[in-house]
Amino acid sequence: MNSTFTIVFLLAGAAPDFDKEVKPLLARSCVMCHNAETKRAGLRLDSARGLLNGGNSGPAVVPNKPEESLLVQALTGKEGVTPMPPKGTKLTSAEIELIKKWIASGANLPPKETIAVGEKPLSKHWAFQPIQRPIVPLVKNPGWCQNPIDRFVLAALEKEKMAPSELAGKSILLRRMSFDILGLPPMPDERLTFEKDSSPLAYEKMVDRILDAPQFGERWGRWWLDQARYADSNGYSIDGPRSIWKYRDWVIGALNENIPFDRFSTLQLAGDLVANATPSDRVATGFHRNTSINQEGGIDKEQFRVESVVDRVNTTGSVWLGLTIGCCQCHDHKFDPLSQREYYQFFAFFNTVNEPNLEIGAPAEIKVRDQLKKELKGLETKQKNIDPLIPARITTWEGKLQADQRALIPEPVQTYVGIAPNGRTMDQEHAIEHYFRGLDLSRHVVSAGLAQNRWAALADLWLLRQRMELEVAVFDRKARMPDISSTMVVEEMAKPRATHIHLSGEFTRKGALVEPAVPEIFPPLQGKGKPNRLLFSQWMFHPSNPLTARVIVNRVWQSLFGIGLVETDNDFGTQGALPTHPELLNWLAAEFQKDWDLKALIRLIMNSSTYRQSSNARPEYSQKDPRNRLLYRQNRIRLEAEVIRDAGLAASGLLTQSLGGPSVFPPQPAGVYAFTQVPKDWKTSVGANRYRRGFYTYFWRSFPHPGLVVFDAPDAVATCTRRNRSNTPLQALTLLNDEAHVEFARYLGSRLEQEANSPSARIQLAFDLCLGRAPNPREWEIMNKLLQDSSSKDSTNLFQLARVLLNLDEFITRE
Amino acid sequence: MNDPTLLRQTRRHFFQECGIGLGSMALAGLFNQQARANSLNIAHHIAKAKSVIFLFMAGGPSQLDLLDEKPELVRWDGKPIPQEFIKGKRFAFMDTFAKETPKLLASRRKFTRYGKSGVAISELLPHLGTVADDISIVRTVATNVFNHAPAKVFMNTGSPQFGRPSMGSWLTYGIGSESNNLPGFVVLQSGPRGPRGGAACWSSGFLPSAFQGVPFRSGGEPILNLSTPKGIEPFSQEKVLNAVKELNQVRLADTGDPEIATRIHSYEMAYRMQSSAPELIDISREDSRTLNLYGADVRKPSFARNCLLARRLVERGVRFVQLYHADWDHHGGGDANLEKGIEKVAHEVDQPSAALVRDLKNRGLLDQTLVIWGGEFGRTPMSEVRETTGRNHHIDSFSMWMAGGGIKAGGHMGKTDEFGFSPVEDRLHVHDLHATLLHLLGIDHLKLTFKFQGRNFRLTDVHGNVVSKLLA
Repeated sequence: MNSTFTIVFLLAGAAPDFDKEVKPLLARSCVMCHNAETKRAGLRLDSARGLLNGGNSGPAVVPNKPEESLLVQALTGKEGVTPMPPKGTKLTSAEIELIKKWIASGANLPPKETIAVGEKPLSKHWAFQPIQRPIVPLVKNPGWCQNPIDRFVLAALEKEKMAPSELAGKSILLRRMSFDILGLPPMPDERLTFEKDSSPLAYEKMVDRILDAPQFGERWGRWWLDQARYADSNGYSIDGPRSIWKYRDWVIGALNENIPFDRFSTLQLAGDLVANATPSDRVATGFHRNTSINQEGGIDKEQFRVESVVDRVNTTGSVWLGLTIGCCQCHDHKFDPLSQREYYQFFAFFNTVNEPNLEIGAPAEIKVRDQLKKELKGLETKQKNIDPLIPARITTWEGKLQADQRALIPEPVQTYVGIAPNGRTMDQEHAIEHYFRGLDLSRHVVSAGLAQNRWAALADLWLLRQRMELEVAVFDRKARMPDISSTMVVEEMAKPRATHIHLSGEFTRKGALVEPAVPEIFPPLQGKGKPNRLLFSQWMFHPSNPLTARVIVNRVWQSLFGIGLVETDNDFGTQGALPTHPELLNWLAAEFQKDWDLKALIRLIMNSSTYRQSSNARPEYSQKDPRNRLLYRQNRIRLEAEVIRDAGLAASGLLTQSLGGPSVFPPQPAGVYAFTQVPKDWKTSVGANRYRRGFYTYFWRSFPHPGLVVFDAPDAVATCTRRNRSNTPLQALTLLNDEAHVEFARYLGSRLEQEANSPSARIQLAFDLCLGRAPNPREWEIMNKLLQDSSSKDSTNLFQLARVLLNLDEFITRE
Repeated sequence: MNDPTLLRQTRRHFFQECGIGLGSMALAGLFNQQARANSLNIAHHIAKAKSVIFLFMAGGPSQLDLLDEKPELVRWDGKPIPQEFIKGKRFAFMDTFAKETPKLLASRRKFTRYGKSGVAISELLPHLGTVADDISIVRTVATNVFNHAPAKVFMNTGSPQFGRPSMGSWLTYGIGSESNNLPGFVVLQSGPRGPRGGAACWSSGFLPSAFQGVPFRSGGEPILNLSTPKGIEPFSQEKVLNAVKELNQVRLADTGDPEIATRIHSYEMAYRMQSSAPELIDISREDSRTLNLYGADVRKPSFARNCLLARRLVERGVRFVQLYHADWDHHGGGDANLEKGIEKVAHEVDQPSAALVRDLKNRGLLDQTLVIWGGEFGRTPMSEVRETTGRNHHIDSFSMWMAGGGIKAGGHMGKTDEFGFSPVEDRLHVHDLHATLLHLLGIDHLKLTFKFQGRNFRLTDVHGNVVSKLLA
């Protein structure tokens, strides 16, 4: 049957009535899965409107065109379309013909079709409920409580008939605060000051002092850059270098200025879209340029562009919303009320960006630079035109040689020059050419006005002068070239790209067209205008958003206790862990929402007695709560990879304290790149840059510095909201034998020798520098034994003592 | 801590309760140190194999010139491939490829029949022919991605995305290692350069980093920072280690943190590694018959030497050994061709791979060691338009071989169409390979999971079937 005939035939009959004839068939065979609630494949088949709206693959029906309609293709089992229904009563061919007929007749909506409105999905899940400030509970022992945090914690402990730990001693507290806030150990004089200060607010004053130090921006910058998946290279197999450290500098600055966290976030997500965006605001958008870029030959570029958008969506979901939205890339979320369509609506916010580089410099400076660049290009072209050593030039030169000049040419070249050009052997020609090249290079020797030089006599003076002038000019332009660095940013496309659902998550299988929108389970976008990244960010920080504040305060808590109130800090969905202290979490979130003041939040937590507790084990509770989830003590936490390096640098006195700038190259063991496809450029930094904080170590995604990897620094391939803390033999080998750590020990050893006179003063100083405390009697004994080994020199003993301290578990742990 | 029972209980609790908490990290360290006693110790069923040696042929060897003989291609040599084969397919270097219909290319290599099964193997691999009855060639392996780095990562992790755990990490995470003084997962490399994808190929992804593959270098010290630094006497190193241990014990008593006990163990194993790793790479005590089996190259850093080291590693209880050898990427540009190019690399690889199978068998180790040979993908039946003869990347069907560890000896499997373009019988997807590998090691691939970002991940993602046809 040809199609023209079909249509004619079908039109011949009266159009079927949708409600009476078509709907019952769908109700029998399809609606079980494609209804208002389940909406399989995003499709509802309980109304004619539903058919026309369609699902993830697009409209189910194309009016007048039954053969092009997905519904018909699925019912008839067309190749490449999943046959429907998968189970239950199949449609007979007569029934299918009826549906075709309805479509062919225009697929008219029944008059006044009422659609069962799919109810706005409701969830009883705790994290999706609005944040409400709870009442601070009463406790039996209010004297222990410094602020409301302690009330919540103590109330929970009292309920279990447990008691908090005693507060840690001043030296432990100082070291804890210093590592937590600055990522550096305290220095002996700070400890002295702190221990001497007996005023009632000594601790709070110290908290304020530490929070004001500029190293705050580095330590919490690292916290943030883990989430931003920051690296200095492009990733994948080629992994070329990139310049985006200006973004890192921006993060350090913004944290130190303590700009409100909502602003901090909005600039990173939409700095290009905010009113009166400054260049600095645009630098902040580098957050979402920290995706990998595949530079391998033969790739499909669109595939990797899509990958980077997927990464932006997943990262945004994890970092701010604690949502595993990535699960919906291929199908509706198995557990949380998120559909695949909603994933791509979310995706659409991030799918309309260009990815340019932004130059950082005053406009006038950039103008000067462009002019100089243009001049430089012209000069270099001239140089090129002069430089090639063409045989013709050798001939010209030969022709111009005077007899006395010829006598200056050394043998045997002099003889060869005497032979007529057509009579020379190849070897002779080569010898002349070689000599001429030598002369040519002599321009460097001649440069300082040595016109009398015998070489100069032989060379082409005109040419030489030309060259010298050009070289001077090139040097001059280069010297005057302003140093304008560039950084990677995001920028909204003038003409936005359309977003389709990717069926099964495959970018080659385009489904229905979607517009940017937030998942239905949450309050709607606020504000006017086209939904874009700016509105999206404002939505995240709207008081009605149930997630953002909870997620961020939990992650700050995680940093200060080693584990969050919600252990799964990046999954607040139904499969995540429940909060151990839900009321406390709500209270903190409500507090944070007031001004989004990050430092105030940190200060609040640090000032609590909960934070100040000792981290020692409590055998009496190890059965009841072995993981200390009720916070009856602080936790001992192994330091992060970068901080381990910083602690060594600080103890040895080598540390270079300077904020920001491009990444540096501290020493690393030879042979690190034996296994790479493209060996990385690693010219070990010298001088001050050799001793900068681990935070500034150049990060090659494919082969990060081994000292970082071995201590669980994240790979910057995907967002990392919580680091692993492993404990392995390779870590022991690193601390024992790595060049950098041995260097720290040598310097620490000589520092001890110079700064203290007696063995006991040296031991005291060593403990102070490395552990921030005085040794106990047993430790004195062990240390003394080491120092009093008369079989080796004092300096050797001190070096050994330094190595011992730098290898202690306590040295790389904040207690 | 003074109470050992308590310590144990605490650990057990951590182990059961925390996906990624503090305690499991402490345990992670222990897996390596105390080997099986402290591993997840999965045994879903009785394992056939104890160890795996994966000979990774980086670049994608041309199965049509090595292991999959296609006489029909001779008739079609130089003719355009019929459209139905390539319609709707995506290839690497699509832009150049799409200009005109690519032409089929017959192999220039002679194939010989070997062993009881009479399996055809090309003249490029004469030594492999001599162990034809010990191995199983699979001609119908399929993968998903056609660029080197993602495909290598896919072969290792079951995903083209970087950041997922590799099979060696899954395996050591699941069943630990039997070595007390060497890492459970070791990577060796030979050839002109490292594999594309680099460390992502042996990454532990979201699993604890203790399960990461540890690269052994072919020159100098095998492990980074293994040897005591210059200028430090051994007795001095020992003195330092003793004092560290004593002070750590003092702190353990003061704070009661079991992490310190783990740290003490870590230092002890590091100390043992300092002597066991150099012993491992010292092959001077191997007899000359063994050395000759692997060929002349065994005396210098080479694939041959790495094959011998692989045997020594599994002898010492290492769970997963992976050897990378580059480069099989024979497109036909420059020296990377199916002429001298493939001859060179086939020669480097052939004798040592066959020797490894034989050596393991002679020592009674083959039954418990699974050997796998293959690359990240294969090559097209069509040629490329370049200076010399070559083929493009191909993912629909390529060849690998396996031996030992519960694999049927001489049980060659899989049939491709007349051009070797697609499988027509017994397709074996990379996910199936992973499922089968885990199965042979006693693991049900559906049950070995790790929760990350809200989802339970597996090596086989949501796919994979154990290929019973391959099993002995």
